[in-house]
Amino acid sequence: MSTAPLLEARGLSKIFSVKPQGRAFARRRPFRAVDDVSVSLGAGRVTAVVGESGSGKSVLARMLARTVEPSEGELFVEGAKIDPRERRDLAYTAAVQLVLQDPFASINPVHPIRHVLERPLKIHGNEPSLVPGLAKELLERVALTPGESYLDRFPHELSGGQLQRVSIARALSVRPKVLLADEPISMLDVSVRLGVLNLLRDLCDNEQLAVLYITHDIASARYIADDVLVMYAGQVVESANGTTVVDRPRHPYTQLLVSSVPDPGQGDRPRMQAPSATAFPEVGCRFAPRCPLANEQCRAEVPTLVEVEPSHHVRCWRVEEASVLLTSRDSQKGGGETT
Amino acid sequence: MSESVLRVENFSVDYGVGERAVRAVTDVTFSLGRSEVLGIAGESGSGKSTLVYGLTRLLRAPGVIRSGKAILRVGEDSARRDIDLLEASERDLRSLRWRHVSVVLQSALSALDPVRRIGKEFDEVLRYHGQGKSRAERRSRAEELVTMVGLKTDRLDRFPHELSGGQRQRVMIALALALNPDLVIMDEPTTALDVVTQREIIDELRELRERLGFAMIFITHDLSLLVELADQIMVMYAGRVVERADSADLYSIPRHPYTVGLMNSFPPLTGEIVPMTGIPGSPPSLSALPRGCAFAPRCPLASDRCLNETPPLLVEESRSLACFNSSSSVRERLVISS
Repeated sequence: MSTAPLLEARGLSKIFSVKPQGRAFARRRPFRAVDDVSVSLGAGRVTAVVGESGSGKSVLARMLARTVEPSEGELFVEGAKIDPRERRDLAYTAAVQLVLQDPFASINPVHPIRHVLERPLKIHGNEPSLVPGLAKELLERVALTPGESYLDRFPHELSGGQLQRVSIARALSVRPKVLLADEPISMLDVSVRLGVLNLLRDLCDNEQLAVLYITHDIASARYIADDVLVMYAGQVVESANGTTVVDRPRHPYTQLLVSSVPDPGQGDRPRMQAPSATAFPEVGCRFAPRCPLANEQCRAEVPTLVEVEPSHHVRCWRVEEASVLLTSRDSQKGGGETT
Repeated sequence: MSESVLRVENFSVDYGVGERAVRAVTDVTFSLGRSEVLGIAGESGSGKSTLVYGLTRLLRAPGVIRSGKAILRVGEDSARRDIDLLEASERDLRSLRWRHVSVVLQSALSALDPVRRIGKEFDEVLRYHGQGKSRAERRSRAEELVTMVGLKTDRLDRFPHELSGGQRQRVMIALALALNPDLVIMDEPTTALDVVTQREIIDELRELRERLGFAMIFITHDLSLLVELADQIMVMYAGRVVERADSADLYSIPRHPYTVGLMNSFPPLTGEIVPMTGIPGSPPSLSALPRGCAFAPRCPLASDRCLNETPPLLVEESRSLACFNSSSSVRERLVISS
């Protein structure tokens, strides 16, 4: 891309200070929930971040929305550097909007939808006489038609899917350039999930928004995204364009993830086995304790993200050997202890 | 089908009584064979959890069982007897639970006592049901059980909050299997877990069932998971069973438009990316169900008849189906229309 991305993060980290579990008098220790993540969101592109719970994907979204202050790293809006430690101003809020997982929790239940949509419209300086019309338009942009019929309803009168559309409409009210969606469909009924996902895709295509789609569901990431990043224990372990990450995963963790998804159409696929999640080590590769290929180097040094083919990056010392994990059926029998 | 462990007939559940009662489960009938796995798929509000809470008599007010029978067959050969779970006294239920029927719920964290060590839970279940004379004997049985589900024995000395979500769910499964029950009911046991852990637990369940031979009712909204795990799948919508079939049949030839829609709601992991639509509209509210077929307002094939009459569940040997458009061409027509 020749133009600067709408939102870019370089080397973003978040260090929390935590007490070791079960030891009330122990000293607090730094914990890197997100470690050196760079991501660039371009106009008209959906970038998916895939990871399990605890992988740091939500903290990443909140740092991009600047509701959590990054410990390290830089943010750029359309190429202009932002100091993330400064107070967030209205212009940033207007440029970058966050949609959360549970619309019933993120929309105030005591106000009608009208209030939910008109408030940001007013705060962001729209002509008061135009506001009701704009609110109705917003609802129609997220396919809640006719808009008037929703304005005076309360959140509890809508279904989860409808309310999630309202929360997307609310995000759109400030004419953002970037939409961050943190697990926007995982709380919704299965039959309406694709509708909301398609809406995000359409907004991205038609209005040239940059969309960050955060999910634990790698199949939905493959369906909607132009770029996919896989996070494990706070780090990006693999990233690539389009369906590459799912179709040709190189990192052992991505392979484990892909081979774990239920997919009856595939019959008996070769399935990778690995020990269950443990606390990740402080030195070396964070996936090493679960990785069937881990060697001395993996346990001693943190691997760097390297480009294995154009725009396909993998953080693994043994990426050459790792490509064969899934293809050799018999290599990984037995698994390990499950703790 | 071989002899059945559980036969459910015309089972209905209401929430509330009188005029404002809402029917959450309507007229459900099915039977479950020994060592069989029945998968129940449906969205929230489809009545799938209410169904099993009702059957196991765990339903709390305002839930009321309105009608039906749930015959559980327990014991071997000459000692065999049939018990109607819906008629059983609290006292009978107490001895049935764990021993013949056990339940694993979605949130293991709320099912386990937070101020008790895991080992204590095992000890209590075993002691109450007269298993193991001494504490040491029960402890060794508990160790056997946690090892069976892939945990280390020192987990017995931990508190629930010290275990990960996957470990807690494994503890629940080990507890459920402690007395070798005939039937294990699992209500979304893996929904809160990440996909790698879910895979491990599903593989373990398959192996355990093979070895121990219990029958299982597995509830989830994830149809593709059921296809891998279950022998039979029952699809529920707005409190009714709309389709039931062998899981392979249901997957290859779904007949009810809702089942077809559910399958179109999960993007596949392989192949070309084609635009998919899910199902238009939202699931109905049980207190304001439409006349006729509850799915009709969202159904691409709905006719006038569908809007006015409720389709009965037509039971055939290989498939039950509640749809007026029951011709086998439904799938083709839906594929074309979507």
